Amino acid sequence: MEQLLVPMMCRIDKVIQETPDIRTYRLKFKEEGMMDRFNWLPGQFVEFSLLGSGECTFCIASSSTRKETFDCSIKRAGVVTADIHTGLDEGDEVGIRGPYGNWFPLEDLKGKNLLFVGGGIGLAPLRSLIQYCIDNRKDYKDFTILYGARTSADLCYKDEIADWRKDPSLKVILTIDKPEETWKENVGVVPKILEEVVKPVVENTKVITCGPPIMIKYTLLSLDKLGFAPKDVITTLEMKMQCGLGKCGRCNIGSTYVCKDGPVFTYEQLKKLPDEF
Amino acid sequence: MNTEIFVTDKAGLATFYEAIIAKHETYAPVEKFGKYEFKKVSALSGCDPDAPIATTMSAKPLFFPRSAKIMKYTADASGTKVSETDEDPLSAQRVILGMKHCDARSLQVLDKVYNWDFIDTDYQKRRRNTVIISARCDKADTHCFCTSLDYNVERLDAMDVLIVNGADGKVYIEPRTEKGKSFLEGDLTHHMTHVRDNEEAAKAMKKQYDAFAGSFRLNMDYKTVNEGLSKIFDSPQFENVSDNCVGCNTCAFVCPTCHCFKISDEKVKDTGVRYKSYDSCNNGYFTLMAGGHNPRPVKYRRWRQRALHKFVYYKERFGENLCVGCGKCTRACPVNISIFEVVSTLPHINNIQ
Repeated sequence: MEQLLVPMMCRIDKVIQETPDIRTYRLKFKEEGMMDRFNWLPGQFVEFSLLGSGECTFCIASSSTRKETFDCSIKRAGVVTADIHTGLDEGDEVGIRGPYGNWFPLEDLKGKNLLFVGGGIGLAPLRSLIQYCIDNRKDYKDFTILYGARTSADLCYKDEIADWRKDPSLKVILTIDKPEETWKENVGVVPKILEEVVKPVVENTKVITCGPPIMIKYTLLSLDKLGFAPKDVITTLEMKMQCGLGKCGRCNIGSTYVCKDGPVFTYEQLKKLPDEF
Repeated sequence: MNTEIFVTDKAGLATFYEAIIAKHETYAPVEKFGKYEFKKVSALSGCDPDAPIATTMSAKPLFFPRSAKIMKYTADASGTKVSETDEDPLSAQRVILGMKHCDARSLQVLDKVYNWDFIDTDYQKRRRNTVIISARCDKADTHCFCTSLDYNVERLDAMDVLIVNGADGKVYIEPRTEKGKSFLEGDLTHHMTHVRDNEEAAKAMKKQYDAFAGSFRLNMDYKTVNEGLSKIFDSPQFENVSDNCVGCNTCAFVCPTCHCFKISDEKVKDTGVRYKSYDSCNNGYFTLMAGGHNPRPVKYRRWRQRALHKFVYYKERFGENLCVGCGKCTRACPVNISIFEVVSTLPHINNIQ
């Protein structure tokens, strides 16, 4: 077991300050050829070590179709993430274990309209899938991305969103919680905009959503109201994890190991789990 | 039936133990202040293979160390170097004496979680390299309930060699696995009578078992417990049963089947060590996420997780109860919470049956 817990060292290629409290770390394995052997699918996660400070679980925020490097977007939230933000810069080294967990059901998404609903840092796991789907564009039908944050400053991946908007085959809708003087787009929480502005077509559509627990809770209710079947709504769970190997017992919800059976679940699957959220 | 049994007496058993200790790396219960712990021993006089059942600590640390080094690392201007730690001292060939049924059974339960998906090779190696030899208990203790659970205590094959102290003064030694069988071949059993399919021996062993099985104060039907607990997730009774809990986690520490762990770093200047150590779902921080969200922020939810993991979730996932009925948690609990009482009365309280 102990060997399975030893990370591989990565060098930080680039640091992008996304928002005041979110930074994206672009990583590359130090060992020659390791990047080629490191294969992941959208939705999987890694254990990210700042040696001496600790290990944290982050999703891989970029797609394996762009494999020169991989991204982890990290929000400053606790002890280790604070150390990461203050202590890590370009050229520094971090430990990575993974990839772990399951991935978005890529086969099921083929030939479907895709509706992505993200909030705050919750866009990170969706971004991996969005990039993957853009790189395999012909496999998917209509593309809608609804993304919200508390304020305009809290929106992640601003440059990439600007690129997505240049692509006429992608529909991108942004929203912030409260009005701001210079903000000309939607104002209101994600579920409200989903119902009032996006008004998605239910037929042949899969919804992929991730965000803070409170957003997920109300988004699921809205989707239900709009007529989406629970099996067509896919989310990725946030749960404390440590080993990523289905051993340490931390991420259990009922008999489910979120780190092995998840983190990606359909709403249908979630409904069957004990109510621990 | 093809049962091989070695028959001897108390003195012959002592000779047997002595020969094992002389020849093999041996672990056995060692007493300290009236409590027992498995330690490496070099003479029979320094240990007690027939220690009373309430050994206060299980043999779990011999398979799943309390704290194991994952790696060492150095980080300086030239970069970061990770080195795996020294060879595991627990993986040599060894014998464990006095590891009772409940304790031995716990390994069969743990095998399920360690051998699914990612394989814990260290654990497997320790399992493979260990010969377990134990006498069957003669009498159940106040908190024992192994005979109420989902395994056949009488025919258990979790220990490699079973020793039975017959009421007739004779000692019966029976290999229970292939490993046990080959272990008993040779010098160790030269001074014993070797019998095969012997009715008298079988009868004496059965008599001893029946007396033991009849000595239990606690009895329950685990199927009723599995079924009942699976329906009371929302029961307010979890608050009552966990009310006294002080959150010391001693129950998980002494439990032979609790296997949750945490990963932590210790660093001094440029060098550090990463450890994997015991943890418990009863810890408030166990599921606390950065940012403050915690799915089990209150005690009763953590206690519910503990009870349901043992009697519902693990059973669903791996087909076994994550409890062997040893009663160690109850004996060690500073506020007298009995897992038996909790799981066997909760379903009744809620009138589900």
